[in-house]
Amino acid sequence: MDKITKTIIRYEWRSFVRNKFQLLLLAIIFIFGMYAIYYGASVVNVQKKTISDVQKIEEDEFYQYQISFDEELNSVDAKRKRDIASNPSYAWFRHGYHAVLPPHNYAALAIGQRDLHPYYHRLTGMSLYYQLFENEIANPVKLYVGNFDLSFVIIYLFPLLVIAFAFGLYSIEKESGVLAFLRIQSISIRKIVVTRLLFYFMLITGLALLISLIGLLVLSNIFSNENFLAAVAWLAGVILYSAFWFSLMFLIISFFKSSAFNAICAAGCWLLFLLVIPAVLNVWMISKYPIDTTHLAELTRRTGLENENDEKEQTEVLSEFLEHNPKYKASDSLFNNNRYAKVYAAFTALKDSHSKKDVDAYNSQIGKRNKWVNQFLWINPAVNMQDAFTLISKTDLNTFLNYQSALTKFHKDITSFYYDRLFWDKSITQEDYSKRPVFKMKESNERWSMVLFSFLKIALILVLIGLVGFMKMKNS
Amino acid sequence: MKTYILIAKKEIKIALREKLVLALSSIILVLLGISLFTGVISYQQQQKAITKAQDEKRKEWLEQGDKHPHIAAHFGTFIFKPKTVLSLFDFGLDTYTGTSVYLEAHYQHQFMFRPAQDHNSMIRFGELSSALVLQILMPLLIIFLAYASFTKEKERGTLRLLNSQGVTLTSIAWGKVMAYFIILLTILTPFILGILLLSYWLKTPDTITDLGMRIGLLGTTYMAYIFLFVVLSVLVSLKSSVSRNALLTLLTCWILFTIIIPKTMANFGESLYPLPSMKIYKEGILKDKENGLDGKTPKAVRMAKLEKELLKKYKVDSVQQLPFNFEGVSMQAGEEYGDKVYDVHWGRLLNIFNKQNKLGSYVSLFNPYMALRNISMGLSATDLSASVDFQKKVENYRRIFIKKMNNDMAQNSNYGEFYEYSVGLDMWKSVEDFKYKTPSIYSTLKKYVLEFVSLFSWIILLILLLNYITRKTKLNNG
Repeated sequence: MDKITKTIIRYEWRSFVRNKFQLLLLAIIFIFGMYAIYYGASVVNVQKKTISDVQKIEEDEFYQYQISFDEELNSVDAKRKRDIASNPSYAWFRHGYHAVLPPHNYAALAIGQRDLHPYYHRLTGMSLYYQLFENEIANPVKLYVGNFDLSFVIIYLFPLLVIAFAFGLYSIEKESGVLAFLRIQSISIRKIVVTRLLFYFMLITGLALLISLIGLLVLSNIFSNENFLAAVAWLAGVILYSAFWFSLMFLIISFFKSSAFNAICAAGCWLLFLLVIPAVLNVWMISKYPIDTTHLAELTRRTGLENENDEKEQTEVLSEFLEHNPKYKASDSLFNNNRYAKVYAAFTALKDSHSKKDVDAYNSQIGKRNKWVNQFLWINPAVNMQDAFTLISKTDLNTFLNYQSALTKFHKDITSFYYDRLFWDKSITQEDYSKRPVFKMKESNERWSMVLFSFLKIALILVLIGLVGFMKMKNS
Repeated sequence: MKTYILIAKKEIKIALREKLVLALSSIILVLLGISLFTGVISYQQQQKAITKAQDEKRKEWLEQGDKHPHIAAHFGTFIFKPKTVLSLFDFGLDTYTGTSVYLEAHYQHQFMFRPAQDHNSMIRFGELSSALVLQILMPLLIIFLAYASFTKEKERGTLRLLNSQGVTLTSIAWGKVMAYFIILLTILTPFILGILLLSYWLKTPDTITDLGMRIGLLGTTYMAYIFLFVVLSVLVSLKSSVSRNALLTLLTCWILFTIIIPKTMANFGESLYPLPSMKIYKEGILKDKENGLDGKTPKAVRMAKLEKELLKKYKVDSVQQLPFNFEGVSMQAGEEYGDKVYDVHWGRLLNIFNKQNKLGSYVSLFNPYMALRNISMGLSATDLSASVDFQKKVENYRRIFIKKMNNDMAQNSNYGEFYEYSVGLDMWKSVEDFKYKTPSIYSTLKKYVLEFVSLFSWIILLILLLNYITRKTKLNNG
C-alpha cells in the first residue's frame, strides 16, 4: 500500500467516524440483523418443539402397542389393545408413523419455504395422498409479507446501505467543490474512487460478516461436519453479494453524474432486482405454466368399495391388486381368510397407484416452472443469492420435493410391512416392532454444486459490471 | 387562483421535459399493462379450472348411485374457492390461502393447496399485480417527480425571484402539488376506468357484491394515497436544503413504509400471539369431542343422556320403539356436538389471527402504505376476512348437507338396518349446489375503519402542515 492510499484511507476513516448519520445507519442495520437472527431462531424453535411433540406422540403410541403383549388378556379392553397391536387387519391403518423434516441448523438464517410447506406427517397404511396434503396452520397475512430473517437483511437491506454510503463518493466532492482540489493532485480520480469504494466495501462487508458470524455461532457449532461447509458457503455468499452491489455502484459512479442521478439510478437497480424482475417473472410463469390443483383434491377423498358385500367386486379388486403385486400370488389364503380386511387394503393400494399419475404430473409441472425460471437467475443476483441461501440452509423447494418423495418411499415401506403380514395371515409379534420401518431421507447430492453454480453466476456478473465501470472511468 | 394554475401549468411543462419522469411514467404504464394482462389471463385460467372442477364434483355427487345417506355423507363433496373478479387487480392473500376443501361427515377438513406451494422461493419476492404497481412503484414515481420541486428552485435562486414578484410560497406549493397530481391522475384515471370495464366484462360467476361501488371506492382511495404522497414529497422538498437530502429522506420513508415496517409488524404479531401447530390444534378438537368441552362429559355419557331424554319424552322403554331411527338422531347429535367443539377451537384460532393482524391495523395509522394495502385487499375481497367468510359459509353448507342426510336416516330408516336402507338421486338433488357471494361492502368497510381514519388524517395533517410551513417560512436565507 503506497503512501497516498494510506492517506486517503486515513481521511476516509476520519470523515466516516465524524458522520453521525452514517454511524447511526450501521447501528440500525446491526440491530435489524440481531432481531432477524432472533426472529428466525424463534420460528425454527417452534418447529423443533412441534417435531418433538409429534415424535413423543409416536413413541407413546408404539409403547402402548408393545406393552400390550405383556398384559394379561382378561378384559375386553386388553384384548382390543392386543388386537390393534398384533392383528394386521387393524394395525395397517391404525399404526401412525411420523416422518419429519428436521430444520437444518442454519434454517433460522433463511427460513425460505419452511413456513409454507408441512414439515411433518403422520402416515398410516391408508391411502398416501389422503394424508399428504394437509397444511400447517399459518396466518396468510404473515406468509404474504414474508419473514424478517437474516437472508432478508442481507439481500434487501445491505444493498441499501451500500447505496447510501457509495452514491455520493464522487459527485458530492464535485458538488461541494472539493473535486477541483483533487484534480490537481498527482493521483488519478479513478484511484481515489476505487480506494474509497474498497474502504466502504471492507466496512460494510465486515459488518455483514460480523452479523452472519454471530448468527452462525449462536445457532450451532460451525466446526461440526454438517455445518462447516454451510457456514463457509454462507460467508462466501455474503462477500460475493456485497461485492456485486459495490461493483454496480462503481459502474454508476463511472458515469460522473450528479449525486441525485446516482441515487435514483441505484435505487432503480435495487427496485428492479428485488421487486420488479421477480414480480414480473412470477406472474409470467403463472400464466405460462398454470398449475391446476383441483384434480389433486379428489385424491384426498376417502373412498371404499361400491358395495362392500359384493363378492364379484371384491374378487376384481384382489385380482387387480395381484397384478401389481405378484409376490402375494402364492398366498392361497388371499381369497379365503379375513377377506374384507384384505380387500380394503388392496383397494387402498390400488387407489394410490392410480393416483400416482396425477401427482407425478403435478410435480413435473412444478419442475418445468423451476427450470424455466432458473434461466433468468443469470440476470438477477438478488434472487440468485436468495436461492443459494435457501439451498445452504435447506429451506428451498427442492428439499421439500425430496422430502415428499422420501415420504412416498416410506409409505411403501409401511404398507409392505403390514401387507406382508396381512396377506400371509401372520400376526404382528413383539419382535416385529424392532423391525418396523424407519423414515429415511437421502441427502441431495446436487446441493453444493447448485450453490457453487449460483455463486459463479453472481461472480461473473460482478466482474463484468466492474470491468465496464473501470473502462469507462479510464476513458473519461 | 390564477397563480396556482399558472404555476401548475409551468410545472407540468417542466416535468414533461424531464427524461427521468417520462421514462419512469412509461415504465409504470408498461408494468400496469403487464400486470393487468397477466391478471386477466390467470383470473380466467383459474376461474375456468375452478368452475369445471366444481361442476364435475356436482355431477359426481348427483351420480353417486343409490346408497345409505350416511355413506353419502362420507363420500361427501369438494368445494373450490372461486376467484373474485377484482383479484385480477389485487391478488391479495389468494396465493397464500388454501383453494379446495373436502366436505364429509364428522370432520372439518382444512383447506388444501396454497398456490404459493407450487413455487420456489422467488414467490416470496412478490407477484406483479396492478395493486402492487400502484401501492409501491407509484409512490416512487411521485418521489422522483417531486423531490426537487423546491430544492431546485432554492439551488438556482428562482424561488426568491418568484417571491419578489409577490407570489406567496403557499400558492407556489399548491401549484406544484396540483401539477403533479394532475400528471398522476392522467395515468391513473384511464386505468381505473379500464378495470371497471374489464371487471364488468369478465364477471361471469357473480361472486362479488357491490362491484361498482367497490371499484369506485378503490379509485378514490388510490387517488387519496397518491395525493398524500405528492403533498409529502413537496413538503419534504420544501424543508430540505439540497435535492440530495430531500431524495434521501423520501427514499428512506418509502423503504420504511413499504418494506421494513410491514414485515417487522407481521413478524412481531406472530411472536406476540403464537399459533398452535396443526397437530396440537387437531388433537385438542379430538380430545374435546371425546371427553366433552368441560372434560367431564365423555361421548358415551352424552349419548346415554340423549337416549334417556328421548325415551322419557316419547314415553317408551327402548330405542326400537321410538317413532324414528335413534341412530340417525344420535348421529346428528354427535355431529352438532362436534360442530360446537370445532367452533370453539376455530374461534380461538381466528382470534389469534385477528390479534396478529390488528397490530398491522394500528400501525397503519403511522403507515399509509399499510392502510391502503389492507383497504385494497378488503375491497377486492382477497383479504383474510373474505377468506374466513368463505370458509364459514362452506362449513355451514357442510352442516346443512350432513343434517339432511342424518334427518333422512332418522325419519325413513329403521333401527339397526344400516345395509338395508338406501336413497338415490332425489335425495342428492335436494342438497342444493354451493353458491358463494362475498360479504357486502359495508361489512368490509367496517373492518377497515382504522385504515380509513389513517389515510384521512394523513391527508388532513399534511395539508395543514404544508399550509403552516409555507406561511411560516421566510425566504431570506433559502
